Amino acid sequence: MSFPAEGVLQRAIAFFAAIGIGVATYIAVEAAGGDAPTCLANSHGCATVAKSSYSHVAGVNIAVFGIFGYVALLASAFFASDLARFGGFLVALGGFGYSVFLTYIELFKIEAICQWCVASAVLMTILFLLNATRLIGYAGNAEALPDRA
Amino acid sequence: MSDADRRSRILKLAAGAAFLAIAVVLVLIVVATSGSGDGGDTKLEGVSEVNRRLAGIPQHGMVLGDPKAPVEVLEFADLQCPYCKAFTENELAPIIENQVKKGEAKIAFHNFIVIGEQSLPAGAAALAAGAQGRGWNFVELFYANQGSENSGYANDEFLEAIAKGAGVQNLAKWNQERQKFTAEVEATSAEAQQLGFTGTPSLAIKGTQTEGLKSLETPSTGDLEAAIEEAG
Repeated sequence: MSFPAEGVLQRAIAFFAAIGIGVATYIAVEAAGGDAPTCLANSHGCATVAKSSYSHVAGVNIAVFGIFGYVALLASAFFASDLARFGGFLVALGGFGYSVFLTYIELFKIEAICQWCVASAVLMTILFLLNATRLIGYAGNAEALPDRA
Repeated sequence: MSDADRRSRILKLAAGAAFLAIAVVLVLIVVATSGSGDGGDTKLEGVSEVNRRLAGIPQHGMVLGDPKAPVEVLEFADLQCPYCKAFTENELAPIIENQVKKGEAKIAFHNFIVIGEQSLPAGAAALAAGAQGRGWNFVELFYANQGSENSGYANDEFLEAIAKGAGVQNLAKWNQERQKFTAEVEATSAEAQQLGFTGTPSLAIKGTQTEGLKSLETPSTGDLEAAIEEAG
């Protein structure tokens, strides 16, 4: 089975993690200011989700956890080691799993969709697939420079 | 350890983590789903506390306090909103106990639907209770028994139990009237949006010393006390 070059995967992870930092930071900044992210098409889904009890864990807005997760994924993309591959996979797995849970909650409990949360869930899904591919394809490989695969 | 051994060990650990993640997500979903029935029980919490706390305070429609009070605080809230519950129980309660009871201020509850469609009949039911002078008892008792947003707990059985617990005397009349109040719930929600409010609870104030309505967003007890003094 052939895999994309690890350097390509690393660059893709860095790209999507950087977008994720932007999305999570926007949600966190709006929440800190007492507002909800602005939904497109005049939808009230973002306000509904942002005001729900599921938007916070232990009093901290979940977007803040998202920022940390995306930063960790971005950092993992700069190293071609097993620690970075496995660490990136674990963070992406956690983020993906929690995104699945939150999407379920949005659809079946809150009955409202926040487009920014969906964007973050899609990014986490892509990052999980990229990190899983990277781990399966390159786990156990000797340390390499980012562009050498 | 050879590269192959290391690879095998890492992949086994990753597979274990993946299974663990699936299990955790499933448990979270089951826990969240099993909470959907909370509040559906007609056994209510806090009936005597709420009715004792509000006893002796005049109520006209959804306005709590002396109608001649120089300051009116307008609260825009959603009965399903946990922040509204926390705000009422923590920040508003001392204001009711002091400035409202002293006749310095009155508080008008306005529905602002942000949580979901189940908030609409709940808000209308509160207004129908208000028509019988028990609107604030209904609101506070609803908060005391609030369940998870949009989980289906705010059904007719629950609303009737709240009305009963709040002391609504003519339940048949309350039941007949609550449907017609949905238009008012929609109107106050639109008014809140026109005032620029985006979330709940949002407050505004008007008094003899203010020019029109002054937005307060979500104030603390201290901020609200100061705003009432300034407005009066």
